[in-house]
Amino acid sequence: MDLLVQSIVNGFIQSGFFALYAVGLVLIFGVMGVVNFAHGELVMVGAYTVWFLHAQHGVPFLWTILIAIVIVTAIGMAMERFLFRPKRNDPLGGLICSIGVLFILQIAATLIGGDGPSKQVPPPYQGTFVLFESLRIPVQRVFSIAVSLAALVALWLFLTRSKMGWALRAVAQDREASSLQGINTNRISMIAISIGAAMAGLAGALTAPLTNINPHMGHNIIITAFIVTIVGGVGSLSGAVLAAVLYALFHTMVTTYFSATIATISGLLIMVLVLIIKPTGIMGRSVSD
Amino acid sequence: MTEKKLTTSKMNRREFIGKTTAGVAGVALGTVFPRISSAANDVITLGMNIPMTGDYAPWGLPGLYGCEIIAKNINDAGGVSIGGTTYDINIAAYDHGYDTDKAVQGFKKLVLEDEAKMVMMLGGSTVASVLPWGTRKKVLTTTLLPSDITPDSEYLVATCESHPLYNVTGVEWLARNHPDVKTAAIVTNNDVEYGLQSAATYKAAFEVAGIEVIDVNLHGFDITDFAPIVSSVLAKNPDVFCMATSFYVTPLMEQLYHQGYQGKIISCTLDYYDEIIAKTSQEFVNGTIYQFPDFDDPKLTEEGVKFPDPGGFDAAFRKDHPNDWSAVSWEYPTIALNWIEAAQTAGSLDTDDILAAMKSTEQQFIFGGGQWWGSQLWGLDNTLVGRWPVVVIEEGKARIQEFGDVAGWLSSNTEVLVKHMKEMGLRVV
Repeated sequence: MDLLVQSIVNGFIQSGFFALYAVGLVLIFGVMGVVNFAHGELVMVGAYTVWFLHAQHGVPFLWTILIAIVIVTAIGMAMERFLFRPKRNDPLGGLICSIGVLFILQIAATLIGGDGPSKQVPPPYQGTFVLFESLRIPVQRVFSIAVSLAALVALWLFLTRSKMGWALRAVAQDREASSLQGINTNRISMIAISIGAAMAGLAGALTAPLTNINPHMGHNIIITAFIVTIVGGVGSLSGAVLAAVLYALFHTMVTTYFSATIATISGLLIMVLVLIIKPTGIMGRSVSD
Repeated sequence: MTEKKLTTSKMNRREFIGKTTAGVAGVALGTVFPRISSAANDVITLGMNIPMTGDYAPWGLPGLYGCEIIAKNINDAGGVSIGGTTYDINIAAYDHGYDTDKAVQGFKKLVLEDEAKMVMMLGGSTVASVLPWGTRKKVLTTTLLPSDITPDSEYLVATCESHPLYNVTGVEWLARNHPDVKTAAIVTNNDVEYGLQSAATYKAAFEVAGIEVIDVNLHGFDITDFAPIVSSVLAKNPDVFCMATSFYVTPLMEQLYHQGYQGKIISCTLDYYDEIIAKTSQEFVNGTIYQFPDFDDPKLTEEGVKFPDPGGFDAAFRKDHPNDWSAVSWEYPTIALNWIEAAQTAGSLDTDDILAAMKSTEQQFIFGGGQWWGSQLWGLDNTLVGRWPVVVIEEGKARIQEFGDVAGWLSSNTEVLVKHMKEMGLRVV
């Protein structure tokens, strides 16, 4: 029973990160129609920023989170302006450009951080909450899940309660019709990638004290983000959040009770099955809808 | 930075001018008369075909730094005499990034262009990729993974690290010093080259020590969260938590700490343990058993240890590369020194002569002892096994407890080891 409860808590904490990874990817794809393969590397840049500024130079952790968001947002905006916008009518071109950015960011991280071991960030919030004698949750993870939830709620409020959010959703539904309604689609694309990149930067900054940081860490992140995005329904933000929770719980349970290898294989298998049986995912819409 | 400022502020003007002048003069003389003592020496090149970038870089780059220190020390002392000729040592390195195609390219470049007399490698698939050509051309090649050795790989030797055979010494020490320990759980990555070899060896060592292995938890390299793995293992209440390879020791230790583990911890490596302490606590890390010492350890000055001035080497390394010390920092230099000693014994630079000299000399292992072993597992006695240190963290610092006898353990327990290797589906002759 203790193991089951601990596993559920582990899964929920993990779901916060999965949701942050996937929401940014979904937002960028939904509005711009670009599959951003460099999304995992944007997370990596966020983590490297925290390592470089906080662990190496003593900048307060909370400041480094903000700086990471700013840096990664700036990279995202540059990608939109100089790569994705010129390739707007060429989906394959945008995808290939994002792969190019992926390699550039990996090399940049190597140049800045050097080769050698994975980078480590000592957790700014030490200690462990112990509940009911046996349930243990590291304070750093509680902080991370709280900030993740706050960011997701803020995004939801923005998308549902602000004119800009409505415009963003309108462009995601029909770019041409939105344009005819006077919505500046270039501006909306810039906002979408800014938010998506900011979410990636935040995810990287929050995971930095909890993981091995290296230039290639984005690889596993993008796979997770794709699984969550496809299962949730490509283009559906609420689907991505729901899928993140379900997938994180599933992955954690399978890892705990069977093995991590089976969990990974099962996750990929689920993605393939969804693509075959229900390509729209849990909450995605088909084109005819 | 602070220390430098303090030092400068204590220096008066006269001392400053005097020392600066002396320094400038030294640099100028060095430029005009570069290393007069060794200018006439011939040069021997030793090659390093290693990962210096990518995930495996921690097991390549620090080794190059170590070899550069050793080469500089030798050359500054006037070089080495082999067969009546004095040579300087040159280290030529190629970064294959743990890519097999690049490994072949680098290997040929080192042999054909740099004329390397020996090529040092990490091991695994990169060694397998160079073996056919290397064996045909009789290139003396070294690996840290003796499981790379095959019945046909006559010129491939493991003269320092024999991953993961030395792990048996840690388990032996644990069982002797903590007789209350009855059960163990092993966690490792599921690759054939590092993880499974190590898991099989630990299983054999635990069996010999009378400790029951109640869980072997294998995971891939794609894992991002170790919380569920640690929860799963701790639910079985093992007396010992064993980390069989080094890739994810830090996040595993972090999870053990947060999930309140209070049993014994044994690990193959504990690289960058100060970072682990920073992420957990010194109290928690104290008592962790592993296999790779710091070289400022007083026990390395004891009789039988063959590495020259280990304390000086440790200080020089950490001065130039303060954050890069890892298990391989001293291993590649040890291999280079072993080759030089064999060449001096042979009085020749010929590969066959040097290999014969290596094999004819007993008691040449870095930590003492030394016996060629391996035909029972891999078909050739090309692995040099001797004493190996058992290291425990005490007061936040790595300290050697004793030198275990790998060769002795193997001579009594090879059958158990072979059994577990086979059970894990590993290649055994």
